[in-house]
Amino acid sequence: MVGIDPETDFTVGPWLKNNLNGKLGRNEVILGSNAHIFFGKSESKVGDIETFYGNEFVVVGILEPTGLGLDDGGFITIEAAEELAQLSEITAERQLEIEPGQISTLMVKVDPQADRGDVARAIADAVPGIAVVSSKELMTTSVSRQLETMAPVLLLIGVGFWIIAVLLIGALFTMVVNERRRELGLLQAMGATRSFIFKQVMLESVQLTALGGAFGMAVGAVIILLLKSTVASSLGVEFQWPSAGFVVGFTLGYLVLAVATGVIAALYPAAVASRLEPYQAIRSGE
Amino acid sequence: MIELRDTTKVYVSGGEKVHAVDGVTLKVDDGEFVAVVGHSGSGKTTLVSIMGGLTRPSAGSVHVGGTDIWGLDNRGLARLRSEQIGFCFQFPSLISTLTCIDNVRLPASFARGETGSTEHALELLKTVEVSEKANAYPSELSGGQQRRVAIARALVNEPSIILADEPTGDLDEDTEEDIMELFTRVNGEGVTIVMVTHSHKLASRAARILTMDNGSVSENGSGADDSPGDGR
Ligand SMILES: Nc1ncnc2c1ncn2[C@@H]1O[C@H](COP(=O)(O)OP(=O)(O)OP(=O)(O)O)[C@@H](O)[C@H]1O
Ligand SMILES: [Mg+2]
Repeated sequence: MVGIDPETDFTVGPWLKNNLNGKLGRNEVILGSNAHIFFGKSESKVGDIETFYGNEFVVVGILEPTGLGLDDGGFITIEAAEELAQLSEITAERQLEIEPGQISTLMVKVDPQADRGDVARAIADAVPGIAVVSSKELMTTSVSRQLETMAPVLLLIGVGFWIIAVLLIGALFTMVVNERRRELGLLQAMGATRSFIFKQVMLESVQLTALGGAFGMAVGAVIILLLKSTVASSLGVEFQWPSAGFVVGFTLGYLVLAVATGVIAALYPAAVASRLEPYQAIRSGE
Repeated sequence: MIELRDTTKVYVSGGEKVHAVDGVTLKVDDGEFVAVVGHSGSGKTTLVSIMGGLTRPSAGSVHVGGTDIWGLDNRGLARLRSEQIGFCFQFPSLISTLTCIDNVRLPASFARGETGSTEHALELLKTVEVSEKANAYPSELSGGQQRRVAIARALVNEPSIILADEPTGDLDEDTEEDIMELFTRVNGEGVTIVMVTHSHKLASRAARILTMDNGSVSENGSGADDSPGDGR
């Protein structure tokens, strides 16, 4: 249980402001997303009544998952917490030994311009016996931090696959061009210009990659739809769709990349195709 | 007019040089009907493909209608092939993924940048008597029918020159006769025809016979030896 000061708290404070007008009553508790597990329930609902150290509290809110330890706990006012500690002597199975005014953690919101390290040192110097932990260290446990370190690796893998794709498509079209030398020679004999042949090969490559890109995106979307809840719960975070603008931009960017892939991959085979000498090419099919 | 000056084509095959066309100088006037005869491997196909802008000679020049065709850029060459020359290949040459009528319309699309008229194409298929196969694919046609479609295709852009490489190669005598009549009629309309053949009988239909031997051309050769010959 975390006792907070609703007036100055900035961890659940903003949530409190948005959902409960910034007011948390003496017998009210806000639960983390996984707190229900400790009550042996499959789910907690607003309005439930839970007993802590012999005191009944009304659940007034349930927070979204954060992936942090906070998900397992609950928030009450600091006054309620102190009272709880005092009354535990009579009401609880085991007494809490917390003196009035005693606190375990003081959160300090550092000005964006200030250096976290300097602030931490200043506090450590001023208050003997205090341990100062800066948020960067706290964040290392969070999911977003993990993803942050994974992103470059994923990007690298993606780029690697892309290069392989370009090479494979290039090889494929070199084979296609080779196989169709006769036809390409005939087209030239019929009066097709070299640039027509070049464009023709390009067009086919781009059709292939654009189609492949669209297909890949559709498969990706289906996988996300099917697995989003599994992934979200295994990471302990709420699944969130990116903004519509991002989705549109990403889709367009992805298609542009697919088309560009087709163009780049077909450059060599298309150049080869357009440079065939007509009769030689036609004969090669004999 | 087609004019070759000291035209040579050397192939290198297996480290050896083959003079497929060896210093040929000749003129074919507008409206002429010329037959080219000679042993297999004597260079007949190479000669006509050089004339038609399909094989670049190793040396010498080719003028068609006064233009040095191998001095043209790619666009110019494509235009020559499209607008002035109708080429009938020695072997099946239809595009397998297009129907017969689309094959015939294809050169028209390159010449005019549009699809080419269906009526005109159908008319030509009627002339070569394969109109009933207009919407069939080449694989559904006999060798002789394919050849006739290819002839219709060579005529579609109303070229001033027809280069026909053994155009009646696998046709029966009746169809062969039809094709020769067609060529004679087209020639009567002023189209220049250069026809490669192994048949002395067909060659005699032409006003002029060129005999090829080992890459060289001689005028009014007898063309007596019409055996398809010694292979390559
Ligand atoms: N692409 C090539 N590479 C190497 N040699 C070639 C090539 N094309 C033709 N030749 C050679 O050039 C010579 C002339 O060939 P060409 O096809 O012009 O003969 P042809 O008179 O048309 O014979 P046929 O009556 O059998 O059709 C032959 O010796 C042939 O082997
Ligand atoms: Mg030949």
